[in-house]
Amino acid sequence: MAAPPGDAPLTAANNIQPFFVLHKAAAAAASSVPSSRARRRIDASLPSSPNPKSAKRSRDVDVQDEEDSELYEQLRLEAFHRTWSKIQSTIDEVLRGINLKLFDQVLQWAQESFSAVRAIAKPCHAEVQQPYPLLTDVICRRIPTSFVLTKNAEFVDDITTFRDLAEHLQSNGCHLAKLSAAELSVKHGVGGCFRSLLRQLLSDVPDVADVYSLASWYCEAENYDQPIVIIIDDLEQCSGDVLGELVMMLSEWVIKIPIFFVMGIATTLDAPKKLLSSEALQRLDSCKLTLGSPSDRMNALVEAVLVKPCAGFCISHEVATFLRNYFFRHDGTITSFISALKLACSKHFSMEPLSFLCMGVLEEDCEEFWRGKFEALPQVIWKYAFGLPSCSSAKNSSNSSNDMVKGLSNLLKLQKDWGSVLLCLYEAGRHDKVQLLDIFCEAVNPDLRTQNASNSDLFVSKVNSEKLSGVKPGSGDVFMAQVMNAIRYLPMKTLLHVLEVWSNYVKGISEINEKVKELQSTTIDADSARTAKEKWTRRSTGSAGNGTAPLNEKAAMLLQDVTRKYLVPVECLPFHEIICFKNVSVLQSALIGNPRRMVQLDLLKSQSHLKCSCCSRSGTAVSGSLHDTSIMCNLAQEYGDVINLHDWYISFEGIINSTNSKVKRKSYGSPSKKKSKSTPPESEAMIQARFCRAVTEMQITGLLRMPSKRRPDLVQRIAFGS
Amino acid sequence: MAPRGGRAAAAASSGSEDEEEEAGFSRSYFLAKEKEPSSGKKRARAAAGKLSDLNLVDEQVLRASLSEIPPKHEEEVEALTRSYKDQYRNWLFELRCGFGLLMYGFGSKKQLLEDFASTTLTDFTVIVINGYLPSINLKQVIATIAEMFWDQTKSKRKRQPGTRSQLSQPFPSQSFDDIISFLKRQTSDDVDDQVCLLIHNIDGPALRDAESQQCLAQVSCCPQVRVVASTDHVNAPLLWDKKMVHTQYKWSWYHVPTFAPYKVECVFYPLILASGGHAQTTKTALVVLQSLTPNAQSVFRVLAEYQLANEKEEGMPVSSLYTKCRERFLVSSQVTLNSHLTEFKDHDLVKIRKHSDGQDCLRIPLVSDALEKLLQELA
Repeated sequence: MAAPPGDAPLTAANNIQPFFVLHKAAAAAASSVPSSRARRRIDASLPSSPNPKSAKRSRDVDVQDEEDSELYEQLRLEAFHRTWSKIQSTIDEVLRGINLKLFDQVLQWAQESFSAVRAIAKPCHAEVQQPYPLLTDVICRRIPTSFVLTKNAEFVDDITTFRDLAEHLQSNGCHLAKLSAAELSVKHGVGGCFRSLLRQLLSDVPDVADVYSLASWYCEAENYDQPIVIIIDDLEQCSGDVLGELVMMLSEWVIKIPIFFVMGIATTLDAPKKLLSSEALQRLDSCKLTLGSPSDRMNALVEAVLVKPCAGFCISHEVATFLRNYFFRHDGTITSFISALKLACSKHFSMEPLSFLCMGVLEEDCEEFWRGKFEALPQVIWKYAFGLPSCSSAKNSSNSSNDMVKGLSNLLKLQKDWGSVLLCLYEAGRHDKVQLLDIFCEAVNPDLRTQNASNSDLFVSKVNSEKLSGVKPGSGDVFMAQVMNAIRYLPMKTLLHVLEVWSNYVKGISEINEKVKELQSTTIDADSARTAKEKWTRRSTGSAGNGTAPLNEKAAMLLQDVTRKYLVPVECLPFHEIICFKNVSVLQSALIGNPRRMVQLDLLKSQSHLKCSCCSRSGTAVSGSLHDTSIMCNLAQEYGDVINLHDWYISFEGIINSTNSKVKRKSYGSPSKKKSKSTPPESEAMIQARFCRAVTEMQITGLLRMPSKRRPDLVQRIAFGS
Repeated sequence: MAPRGGRAAAAASSGSEDEEEEAGFSRSYFLAKEKEPSSGKKRARAAAGKLSDLNLVDEQVLRASLSEIPPKHEEEVEALTRSYKDQYRNWLFELRCGFGLLMYGFGSKKQLLEDFASTTLTDFTVIVINGYLPSINLKQVIATIAEMFWDQTKSKRKRQPGTRSQLSQPFPSQSFDDIISFLKRQTSDDVDDQVCLLIHNIDGPALRDAESQQCLAQVSCCPQVRVVASTDHVNAPLLWDKKMVHTQYKWSWYHVPTFAPYKVECVFYPLILASGGHAQTTKTALVVLQSLTPNAQSVFRVLAEYQLANEKEEGMPVSSLYTKCRERFLVSSQVTLNSHLTEFKDHDLVKIRKHSDGQDCLRIPLVSDALEKLLQELA
């Protein structure tokens, strides 16, 4: 540890200053941009690296290794940024696409309202700036307001929705301002709100924020002739009084300055009634719009990000299941799902040495990219690559870069096929309310694959089928079975539609495409034959045997066949470690910190962290050699939710003293210097001090509450279990 | 008592399986509930031992010994802390990916984090916030960050003259929102321009309120700012809502128990065996004061202002307090003053000491920082 600040006296400035600058960035000018340097070095080391015969001294190799590792870390970081920005932009696009209909509705509403307002009166500039009202009619004092029902219990998902809405309106010419629930609070008052409005609309805000400055701004030529839309994204959290006041104030001006509201409502349409006074409500001319449901958004998201891996990055079955559970059991917000995915992505790039190869997917010619990168790989990583469990038993292991490039390309192609087939499955199951995320989790399950796999499968590397066949067959292909079942009962019209969509999905796989076409053509025949069929219902069943089985059955057969062949989970493919994140425990611990449980475990099992020799051997009893706070925490386990300080102290003292005397006896018996500090029985003051510190430490961790004045001898235990 | 404690330890250490742990935890909960002193007899037993029965040493001696506590497991603690060094690169990687690092686990993480910052975060400008202190002015912090960015852009502009480089107002006098929007505008592709905010005890007493957390959350999502923080309290996650966690702080949790003593963090907590464990805090004092009459509050203010102006002195003599208060028409007689003082004393707002010259002196048992904050909040 370089200059440990903890050893400095307690009063050292760094410890008692509220804040200080530890250091400034190392001279920015000195270091050139590292990534460009990195690339240069990779090119330079291209010929030398693969053959390590250039006998260097070991120290040089070390230095080289270190440089290499930094270099590749830089590459991985770059890969992360590129991959994630691709994923993020895909996500944004998908969400915006889903909401686009609503956005257009809002825009149309705004434009209509604007023309309605203008139809009542078209004040000239001088009139706008006059303080007295233009019209006194009540009708003219109503603010057009659209309530957007978000249907989300959690507001966090709507942040992006409203952000996109704002952009959409703005790009279509509306003036836009947003007021958050924090601004519409009693603390800020209506004055604070108004100031915030002005800050967003005007380029420089005058000291006195009033409507006149807004009016004169609105009169400027470039601002006139467009409505001002105020978005309040979380209506329920706002203070009703403040919002009411704002509504009353602005409604007096609505003819002169056309300000409209868009309010997001998470609960029901009653919310504004509950929140606002009837007087304020009267001033709102409302219109109701509804957002798409979270499950629609989720399906679209899974399709765009996980099923068609837009940036090459994908996740394993375990991770998928974890994310699914996290979504359904944790909070059900898309936002938390995305942030979990991002964390998974960053963990992947941080832990997997070869992950930078993911970038290849984003390159135009990925094979070329990979070849270039492979040839520059240092020996260590090279070996690592061919030692990956998924390809260690590949048959013709000549370990050339060609193999690897081929392997990766093949991996991508199979992934693509897998995605197409999965979408076909989903399309069939959609009519039976199957969610894409559920079926996705099944489709990435390698166990399922080994269950279905015929004995000779070209794609599955041997090691995997061997390794995985040991795993007990998971309980399930529940959803896939449901899909297979569903397709048998699809009405003809829907089935035709499904086939239509399929042929779209499987364009890349000629074999299936043909079969789908075949099916489609038979349906047309069947269609024309239907009239005949209706006539002779009885007879048609008789001829079902020779190739005229009901279409549904055929489609189901095709789907089953295709699933068996093409639905190869990524974990069964060689080199999948490079693009696939598998470490679910790392993700879980980073995503869901659990201080309540972990801190208590730290204290109750301090030995497992400290790995000391002195405490573990004492077996069951609380040993005095434990960390003081650990002793206290162990003792506290035996109390109720209040702890008598006196008793607690006595038992603590007992443990300390018994250990001391033991140590003493021991040091008499064996002169080994194992415990050379044969201390005299601790002084009372010292024990008390240790007791005090342990109590304080437990207080800092929040395991204890200090005694109240009424019961000065009792402290309260707060945390009992996780 | 000792054998009972032993049983608990046995229960805790024998089960290595997760499920057993869970069972242990829930068992201890029910055990606790069972033992609740509901019946009179049990209550009597729970209250049997009194602190006053112990032979407590003087506070001075206690404080002296506190600084001399011999460290336990010094080597192991150091080894444990050293073992986290291997993760530094990964932490940096994640920080660069845009996440905030949140360290938790038992033990002071001050040293660990500062070591991480000074060895690994060399490309960042690092600003440390000591969240364990009783009062922190966050606006000063963000003004400092803003100034730093300002200086950076200024030095860059020097190379390419002709652009505007005047600040309309110095940052400390700008409003909070203005500074934040300035920080949000700071974007640059150069990683060397980033500032890392290192927050010890982001759940510390001064940062525990919603406003401070909102402020920190807003700072943490500025494009050029990264956050590394530590928490100690088991309920720390309750400080944040979904928006803060997922869109602002973007925490990546790390469990890093260090078992290092909370040396500095402890300083601001009362000693349980010294002051009866219930030292006055700003918050409790504020609650009490707000319930008093305006006159009583003003009397307290007089006393507080005196104490702030004369920090070195032992306290304010009662007689001079009386004169001051009479001058300001706060009290009309010694009797009214005394009634106020009794109120203060009852609520531990004021301590009476004998001055060296024999006079009674009044002193508010709060440090100056806390006292100033109290006065601000009272206003």
